[in-house]
This record gives sequence, C-alpha cells and structure tokens, in this order.
Amino acid sequence: MNIIVCIKRVPDTADADLAIDRSGRDIEKTGLAFDLNEWDSYAIEEAILLKERFGGTVTVLSMGGEDTNESLRKCLAMGADEAIRLTDPAFSGSDGFATAKVLAQAIRRLPYDLILTGTQAEDDGFGEVGVMVARLLGLSHVAIVTRVEMEDGKIRAHRELEGGLEEVVEVKLPALLTIQTGINEPRYVSIMGIRKVAKKEIKVWGLSDLGLKEEEVGLKGSDIGLERLFLPLVGEGAQILEGKPEEVAAKVFEILKDKGGLV
Amino acid sequence: MEPNKITFAQQYDLYGCYQCGKCTGGCPVAMKSRLNIRRLMIEGVLGRVLDRVGEREEIWDCTTCKTCTLRCPRGLKPMDLVIGLRGVLVEEGRIPKTLIEAMENAYKHRNPWGKSKSKRTEWLRELPEGLRVKDFSRGERAEYLYFVGCTASSDPRIQEVARSMVFLLDRAGVDFGILGIEEQCCGNEIRRMGEAGLFEELRDGNLEVFEAYGVKRLFTTCPHGLNTFRNEYPQGRFEVFHSSEILLRAFREGKIRFDRELRKVVTYHDPCFLGKQNGLFDPPRELIASIPGIQFREMDRSRERSLCCEGGGGKMWVESSSDVGQRLAELRVQDAVALGAEVLVTACPLCVLTLEDAVKTSGYEDRVRVMDLVELLAEVVG
Repeated sequence: MNIIVCIKRVPDTADADLAIDRSGRDIEKTGLAFDLNEWDSYAIEEAILLKERFGGTVTVLSMGGEDTNESLRKCLAMGADEAIRLTDPAFSGSDGFATAKVLAQAIRRLPYDLILTGTQAEDDGFGEVGVMVARLLGLSHVAIVTRVEMEDGKIRAHRELEGGLEEVVEVKLPALLTIQTGINEPRYVSIMGIRKVAKKEIKVWGLSDLGLKEEEVGLKGSDIGLERLFLPLVGEGAQILEGKPEEVAAKVFEILKDKGGLV
Repeated sequence: MEPNKITFAQQYDLYGCYQCGKCTGGCPVAMKSRLNIRRLMIEGVLGRVLDRVGEREEIWDCTTCKTCTLRCPRGLKPMDLVIGLRGVLVEEGRIPKTLIEAMENAYKHRNPWGKSKSKRTEWLRELPEGLRVKDFSRGERAEYLYFVGCTASSDPRIQEVARSMVFLLDRAGVDFGILGIEEQCCGNEIRRMGEAGLFEELRDGNLEVFEAYGVKRLFTTCPHGLNTFRNEYPQGRFEVFHSSEILLRAFREGKIRFDRELRKVVTYHDPCFLGKQNGLFDPPRELIASIPGIQFREMDRSRERSLCCEGGGGKMWVESSSDVGQRLAELRVQDAVALGAEVLVTACPLCVLTLEDAVKTSGYEDRVRVMDLVELLAEVVG
C-alpha cells in the first residue's frame, strides 16, 4: 500500500510573546522555534504504523521553503521512504485552496492508495486543506479521524464528533483521511536518527514540474485575502493578578470565594 | 548470541562483573522499584539484556545518582549500562511521552522545561534595585561566567535562587556575567535520558558560545551543570566551579561575611551530583558553619551515603509504574524533621524542588523550610 502524507512546518507559539510584523499581516517570526505541525506528527506516525503492518511505502509532501527540509527529514527519520518539497516563488501567499491545488497536482504524479493529512495546522487553523485536496482529486475523505482499521481494500475510520460522539464510516481506497491528535503516540526522533537521513535526497518540485500556471497559485490563485492581523485587544472585565505563584493562588481563591465560585 | 549483543556487553565492560551485589545494595530505588542493577549486569553478560527492553519500564526509575558505579569493587560502570539501555530505546523512538517532550523542548528551545529562548533572562526582572548583571551576549565581558541553567531560568521557585546568587556575587565583588538569551541547556540530564546525539549537539553549541566570548572560568548553582561541564566537556578549555566554591573563596578572602545571627536548627542534604559525584562535601558545610547562632545537625545518611532525592537522570520528567514506593524525598524530609531541623539546606535546584514538594505532601510546611544554600546565605549576609 502506498501512502502519501502532507505535512507543514509551523512556528511554536505556545509559550512565545507574539508580535505583529511590519506588513501587519503576519506574526514576527524571528526568535520563534519551528517544528512539524502537531497534527501532522500523528498523521505520519499513523502512516508508518500502517506501513509496518501492511507493507508499502510512505511518501511525505510539503509545500515550503528550504527550512521545511528539517521537518521532512524528521519524517524520513521516523520511517518515511521518500520526501518531496514543493516550492516556487509563485506559491507564496497561497491560501488553503491554492495550497490544496499545489498538493493535489503533486499527488497526481505519484502512485497512492491512501492520503493522510493532519486535521488542521497549528498556525492558521483553517482545517480545510485536507478535504480540499480530496475534492480536487475526486476522492472520498474522512475528517477528524481518531482510529483507522483496514480490511480488504476498505478502511473503517472512527471520526470524532461534537459532544463526545464517535462516528464509524467505511470508505473504499483510494481515500483521504485527516488525522486527529491522540490517534497514536508519535515516536521520538533522535538526533542520531536525523543524522542518518541527513544525506537522503529530498526532491524539489516547482511550478513547471507540476504543470501549474502562475495565476492558479499564490495570491492570484487564492480566494481568501488576509487584510490585517492583530493581537486581541485587552477588554473590560479582565483582571491580571501579579505576584509570586502562591500569592496569585491565594488571590484567585479569595476572588472565587467572594464571587460565589466555591460552593 | 548475535554479534551486536556481544558488542553491547563489551561496550559497557560487563564481563568484569562477578555479581557481588554491591550495586543493587546501594541503589536508592532498588527497594521500591523493579529496577535491579545487578540483574541487568548479568543479563548483559548473557546477552539477554536487550530482549524486550521496551517492556522494562524500570529502566526509567534510575536517578543516575551513580552510587552503583562508585561502590563497584571492580571499577565497572553499571549506571552507564542503564544510560546505554535508555539510548537503545531513544533510538527506537519508544520512550515515555513526557520524556519526548523534554527532549524536543531541549532541541527546539534549548531548554527541557520548554521555556522559549527569548524568556531566558526573565528571572532578572525582579532583581534588587541598583543591581545590574553583565551579559556576554550584549558585548560585555567578565572574569567569570555564571551559567544560570535551565531550571533557574524557568522555574519561578528556582529563579529566586539565581536572584540570591547574583545578590551575593555583587556583595562579594565578584566580576561575573551571564550568557543572556544565548545560554542553552548544558545537556547533563539529556545525556542521562539516553539522548547521546542531542547531548553532543548541546555541548558543541555551548562550547561555541564559550569560545566566542573567551570564557575561561565559569560557575553554576546547579550541580548537574557543574558535573557535565567538569567531566563530560573537553578538558582544559575552561575551569568549572560550583557556587559554594566561589562563595567560600570570597568568604575566606574576607570579601563577604555571613554574620547576621540565625537561631535555627539546620541540616544539609548532599546533592548526588555535587557530593558523591564531584566530591564537594565541605564547601557548603563550611559556609553554613560560619553563620552565627546556627545549630548544625548532620543527618545519618550524609556525604557519600547521602540519600538521593530522585531529581536526577531525567526523573524530573518521567515516572514509571514500576516504582510503587514512597518518594525518597519524603524519607529525606522525615529524616530532617526527626533531627529537629527547621531549615533543610541543599545546594541544587532539582533537590530544592523535590524536597519542597515532599515537605508539602508530608504536611511538614510548618515544621521545616527547604532552602538552597545561596538563599540561606543571602538572608544572613552582613
């Protein structure tokens, strides 16, 4: 079985002090650490688990600049067989739809039975690229998948629904699944593991390799235009407590007690 | 026997083991975990130690206190075998999630606690007024580098230790600077978690920074950093000291006095990485003894026989289900309380954290206070 996994390299913003850059349409990225998108780490792990059980190959795809090689190498070290980076000046400014067009066009050139993506990316959080790729390729898809079972060329996928419900659907291959976090435990990739794949070739495909036109991708090929990015304004009603952790905890306790939060 | 297993036994010099059991006899966690270091040694000799190594959860119970290695009459290194086994699991990628997070944080943020690089000097914000700290990364130079360490940079409780330290250094007139946002994980714990490649990368990164700023002398408040800088970085490039050595020298030279009376019963817990692993038993004791009014009492298990607090060897980030007994830090706190100690002094950030937790979980908050040596000294400086 041939599996393709689409991944993205994203900035780690969980503990960072974010600032808006000069363009007003992006965050200031200098000083931020980058890593493989968390959802994608589960998607690549799931692909490798399926390969370990059923054989076949895992090819990992990503649209991005040279920095993206770091994340692609991580996937190779985890057990992917091949990595392809999709890059072209014309791709910059692509929204989810334009990105999906680029990925779908690359996938058309590869043999595949199953495509996995993360459910969403930590940075933009649209959660749309996976399902758009499926639509562009005319494939069935299952989104927010928490469990995968395979039998006779069919997949039974468990989906996470609102309110703690779970839906089980059966799809024929080829198909596309968007993978939810928690579906597995992504393996650790050691520095020595990364060193071992340091010389492995990462193929690079650009606009002409994919047979795409400039107006189909990047800003021109996008439906969504980002106007302005800003940090949430400090509103009324919020109280910032300061002091040592134990003092803050004591203040929180008092406030909760006063406002009837402790019954 | 497969050839690679022979190599493993040879690599860790296991054939010299005659199964005397001194290693297990001295192991602080052997009484409460499935970890049995003597058994691992013989299984290594028999080429069986790698069988189902992924199921040996107890490998993560070792605190790398090094008692086994220090007690071995044949001069073997049982602790290194545990680290080697961890290395096998790390390379397979099958390790506890909390350890993965710590290692990925050390890679991404150069700090296993996960605090971002830009916040490395956050602890400087609440310094006493008028106190300025030199920063090598901003072009300033000094005689000593104070390598603050990840825990003192990140943990609010231990940030207080770093602040006390710079306060004392300022009073003693020591010319020192920090690496600011260019400081990164020393790698001591990472190496003991079995991530040898990441340790090398962190070590090389630090060496590059030391070289660039011409660092010839450095000191740490953290014995874990002291240990790796002293014993696992290339020798002869720079001198490495612990805060207690720096302060003791300043005290002996009359540059600082600890002469405010403190009428308290005090005991001292030897951190494994400072005491048994690096032989620094006396500097902290001499400094404590200099404080007027103090009544110093020694715990039974002290110096070479000091009981490990379980903060080392990556244990701050992992706990296995094979370890079912009482935390050693709680036993330690009980020892201190039984002595009538009002202050339990130690000289290691990880010991402070584990012991303070133990004071809280044992309900001794009104009886005994845990302090780092430099915090105690900052309270009595003249």
